[in-house]
Amino acid sequence: MAGSTIDHLVSVTVFLAAILLFISLFNQTIQTAITYQRHRYLATKCSDLLDNMLLNPGNPIEWGKGNTTPTSFGLQDPEFTQYRLSPFSLMRLNYSAGQPVFYSKTGQYYSNITMGFGKSLLVPFNEVINYSTAAKLLGTNGTYGFGLTITPIITVSISEAQSNPLQLAVTVMGAGFPLANANISYCFLTVKATGGEGAYPSYTVDYGTNVTDDQGSAILSFPSFDGTQESYVLIVYAHLSGLVGVGYHDHVRYDASYVVPFIDDFDSRRVLIAHSWDVHGGDNPAEISYNATFVLLTEDFTLREMPLGTGAVGKINYGLGKPYNNITISTYNPGLLVITYRKSAQESGVVLMPWGISSMAFPISFGTDPIQREWVTTDVRQVIVSGIAYQAKLALWSLEGYQVMG
Amino acid sequence: MMRTIEVLLVIITITAAFLISSLFAILPSPRQVSPINLRRLALTTLQALDMDYDLSTTVFKASNDPAWGQLQIALSACLPPNIVYNLTIYDVLSGGTQLYSVTKSISNAENLGVGSDSSSYLVASSNVTFNVTPEKIGEHGGGGTLYILNCSDANGWWITGYTAQKLAEDLYNLLSPYFQSTIMVQNTAELGQILNGTSLHGETLQNAVVINTYGETVPIPAGYYSSSGVGYDTSRNSYALYDYTLGKRVRQYNWTWASIVGWPLYYVSNTVTLSSSQNGWGINGMVMVSSPGLQAFLQGLDNQPYSYGNSQTGSPGVVYLSSVAQYYCNYYGIYPSPYQTSTRALSSSITSTYHLNVTTYIFDQVSGWIPGAVYRNAVSGGLLALGLTRTPDIRLTALGLLCDYRPRLYRSEYTVAGTSKLVVLQLGQLGGA
Repeated sequence: MAGSTIDHLVSVTVFLAAILLFISLFNQTIQTAITYQRHRYLATKCSDLLDNMLLNPGNPIEWGKGNTTPTSFGLQDPEFTQYRLSPFSLMRLNYSAGQPVFYSKTGQYYSNITMGFGKSLLVPFNEVINYSTAAKLLGTNGTYGFGLTITPIITVSISEAQSNPLQLAVTVMGAGFPLANANISYCFLTVKATGGEGAYPSYTVDYGTNVTDDQGSAILSFPSFDGTQESYVLIVYAHLSGLVGVGYHDHVRYDASYVVPFIDDFDSRRVLIAHSWDVHGGDNPAEISYNATFVLLTEDFTLREMPLGTGAVGKINYGLGKPYNNITISTYNPGLLVITYRKSAQESGVVLMPWGISSMAFPISFGTDPIQREWVTTDVRQVIVSGIAYQAKLALWSLEGYQVMG
Repeated sequence: MMRTIEVLLVIITITAAFLISSLFAILPSPRQVSPINLRRLALTTLQALDMDYDLSTTVFKASNDPAWGQLQIALSACLPPNIVYNLTIYDVLSGGTQLYSVTKSISNAENLGVGSDSSSYLVASSNVTFNVTPEKIGEHGGGGTLYILNCSDANGWWITGYTAQKLAEDLYNLLSPYFQSTIMVQNTAELGQILNGTSLHGETLQNAVVINTYGETVPIPAGYYSSSGVGYDTSRNSYALYDYTLGKRVRQYNWTWASIVGWPLYYVSNTVTLSSSQNGWGINGMVMVSSPGLQAFLQGLDNQPYSYGNSQTGSPGVVYLSSVAQYYCNYYGIYPSPYQTSTRALSSSITSTYHLNVTTYIFDQVSGWIPGAVYRNAVSGGLLALGLTRTPDIRLTALGLLCDYRPRLYRSEYTVAGTSKLVVLQLGQLGGA
């Protein structure tokens, strides 16, 4: 009788333990399958969301060219179909990778894309579209987080191979391959700081073409130009079989005081001309004179000058009581704002600002950081922004907090 | 002991069940869970490569052309390093059971791994012209003649910035493909000839369209059509009678008279016979008829007796293209600004007074004013009137006529052999689980 009872107890205990173990094992398998399904759904959502951003222009369709906040979010260029993005809508996205800049004379913070000295795009916070606004417009607020990066496919790197006479080495790379035998069109802009005290700087522009070798490299020579004695900027367009990339390189002889352009108003296309000391501080500031020019990229990869009107030349000083200047860009065609400046005949420089993100192939980083997220899915599209080839990548993750298992 | 053995048997059974179910429940690899959408990536890559039609140009080149090498470099450069590809070009065939044949294939890997996806893209040859052949107006009925007034002996008014001759040339380029014959009426004598019912070059006079490129002015022939009782109202000292005669002729020949801008028939012009006159604004060779001109024309068009009196126009301001006109903008590829300013819109009351039917609204009606429309008399004849302010956009006239006649466009097929190639880009992903 006792043996039977023990047998009964042992068998029931073992049976219950086994059942609990198997329930746990089956449950884990089911949980893992459910999680995988959710991840699969997240990947589909990522692809859909990316297409949703890239294949509709938003509302109003020209929101990138004004100050209004869109009522629906989209980046497509309204003048085109398919994956062609508006260079102006992209300009109005808050650049998440940049440190915001504060300008005390306007009392505003600015979204900051800076690609080295004198190559920046500063857009006031009250005119950029921030992440939370975009998330609400896309219907992802509180459910998904995302990060959108739009980077040029073609990277054009320029370095100084020799100063006198000037030789510049250009290297053209794709996403995974050098661009051999690519055609290069370049624009070489030199600052002429001649003239007496207080004179405005002028500039000269030279154009040329070249072809890269098997390594995607080319040497551009300027035999009669001494790179140590004058400020210059080189803008290079590389193109091969439909792919177009932009690169630039500058050399300034004076950077203690320089001009900082800020976008002020998209509706009126007004740009502020500020003194660098008021923005970035520094030592030995001085009054500088400047000469601003707006140039458009033509279909044959040359630059065409557009008139700027009032304020194209002027002087700018630092500190209290010294106001900023402003100029108005006369067009919504993408181009470059080239501002040459000088303190004296020996102290000059040049700064650039893109009007339309593509004219200097500036990258875009919009959204939040996926670091520490449990499962991030990405998707990629090739896009065209005003003729320049970019790659748009969206990283998407769930904010609902389910675990990755298995 | 027996029960313990039974439980062990149960455990063995459940374990077997778990193992068997685990064997069949194969979970997908992470790459399959969160895949890059290779199909979309392939499509956007092809679109990027064809941005300036470089891809379209290259695929029609000989297989040993250096452009193929450049295409492969560009393809490799624009795809991420872990993506392998196979680009295949197919000829589009016709007349057989086989639709496509491979002409060229380039790849950067021996195989595309375990999973791949592809997109196709149809490109057209730059050497082939895809014709759009318009149906000719009058092809399936009478008429089909377009007269464009290009009289060298007349001046225009409210065509500021243009000459009638320049407008006539532009209209010729825009509209001549849609008509069986297009005749430039070179002087007022030729205008008088067609008003008399004599063709200029053997064209069909009946059911023609006559476009007056002179704005608010209409050229007046010397002689018969300027004479008292035919063109000149002696009692009123006005050429409104000429407009009446004009209306009668439009009815007689079932013409469609087109007025491109402003108040129709407000002046008459002949630089020879009216050389000593000016229109009140300093333009010689022109006489103001004023508002009775339009009324007289409409009376003639409706075969009513001539009665000197004023016509009316309104100024509704900004007006918008009608939905019909917007639709045909896309169909015919004519894109004027969708909104215009109207200061000489015709009153809608003329439709009942002169038995006119509006067959096409070019602009939406605003209250009792019609800024632009084609009117047809219940019996014969028609009027296209654009009551817009200067300067004229002759694309609106062309659009109005095309909206009204609606000639069809016959487009070439893009899949005809030799004209198109099918490009298929297949992508695979390397690395990862």
